[in-house]
Amino acid sequence: MSNWAARELDRPLCRVADLPEGQSVGFDPLDEGRDTMFVVRKGDTVHAWRNLCPHYDRARMAWKKDEFLNGDRSRIMCAAHGALFRIEDGVCEIGPCVGQSLTPVPVRLHDGALWIVGEYAPGFRR
Amino acid sequence: MRIIGPDELIFGVDNLEASRAFLVDYGLTDVGNDTFEALDGTAITLRARDDASLPAALETGSMLRRTIWGVEDQASLDAIETELSKDREIVKNDGQLLTKDDAGFEIGFQLTRRRPLDLPAEMINSPGAKPGRAPNEIAANEDAEAKPRSLSHIVYFVPDMDVMANFYIDRLQFVITDKFTNTGPFLRPQANNDHHVLFMIQTPPYMQGLEHLAFHMQGPTELMLAGSRMVKKGYESFWGPGRHKFGSNWFWYFNSPLGTHVEYDADMDHHDGDWIHREGPMGPEQAQMFLFENVEKWAPGGPPPGKGGKPE
Repeated sequence: MSNWAARELDRPLCRVADLPEGQSVGFDPLDEGRDTMFVVRKGDTVHAWRNLCPHYDRARMAWKKDEFLNGDRSRIMCAAHGALFRIEDGVCEIGPCVGQSLTPVPVRLHDGALWIVGEYAPGFRR
Repeated sequence: MRIIGPDELIFGVDNLEASRAFLVDYGLTDVGNDTFEALDGTAITLRARDDASLPAALETGSMLRRTIWGVEDQASLDAIETELSKDREIVKNDGQLLTKDDAGFEIGFQLTRRRPLDLPAEMINSPGAKPGRAPNEIAANEDAEAKPRSLSHIVYFVPDMDVMANFYIDRLQFVITDKFTNTGPFLRPQANNDHHVLFMIQTPPYMQGLEHLAFHMQGPTELMLAGSRMVKKGYESFWGPGRHKFGSNWFWYFNSPLGTHVEYDADMDHHDGDWIHREGPMGPEQAQMFLFENVEKWAPGGPPPGKGGKPE
């Protein structure tokens, strides 16, 4: 069985080269069965956010696996009620949680791989 | 006023392709012109967000652009026109009456597009009761179409639930079936016994929009089947499956590219004029009788893994 406490991960999330430019990709670092975070790569920068809309407790945001963005991929969109967030700083510009922010996931790039920095807490409601 | 319920919801979306695929995968039928129908003809229609035929969007960014209510007869349509033209402009267009409600949502009324359905309910066998199925009639059919039968209800986020509810009660003869204190009432129109076709949640003005829409399924089994197919296709289950208390309907909610939750429901209570509404606090205990979460399929086996089987 998995351990549901926060912990440091002994493996990277992925290779940075595998992240498509400007698109979102979901991850389930603790093997909880659902993606609990997602990243959007913009050039050499990877923006990483918890899959939690500030509107509702533990609200998951995608409308489909890896689909966390609006139609033209200019914003992160919560597919629960259409809230739009800036990709770069996670601030909600319009929608139920306007003015609030997504929770960042500290990440670093090392040898072409994307790592979570520090402990990562479970995100799934249980 | 013989209002039946929502006939058609019109959206202005920013991702048409994804929204079309979602509605088809959800089980609606593409009947052309970006209209997607349930079995009885109730529908969701998609347009691009900037489509010139759409009424202006709410400032909140909600993608719902108009709710069309179906009425039973011309007399009801005439009565609605007489009542609402007292204090607002009504545009008549192709048999529809178009206007706004007191919360500022764009609404319309038309002779219903609903086709009468003659379909079996989910049939069950239960000790002590007459069997629902004949001998050798199988219930577990993985190939069942499990299509949404009818547009069931919509739930709005509104800045003033009293203003909103009173419009539908005082002007359009909806009745309250149950009530969440400080959240909003469940409403039923005159020509529908369903526990609710309209519910509202009190929010700050910047949230005004649509919390969810729902279609009726045959029963809990087809709800589970349709929902698990959505999960298998990668769609995001948001809440459910479970069973609500008020209305008793089974539920399973999904996120959608239409920027609202889209629900499957089944087996909702019916009420008539004799019903006296209940009231309870909104919260997890009151919102559902029970709640489950879809997990990967599993099967029991014999011995623990690697411990061999029948002795030689």
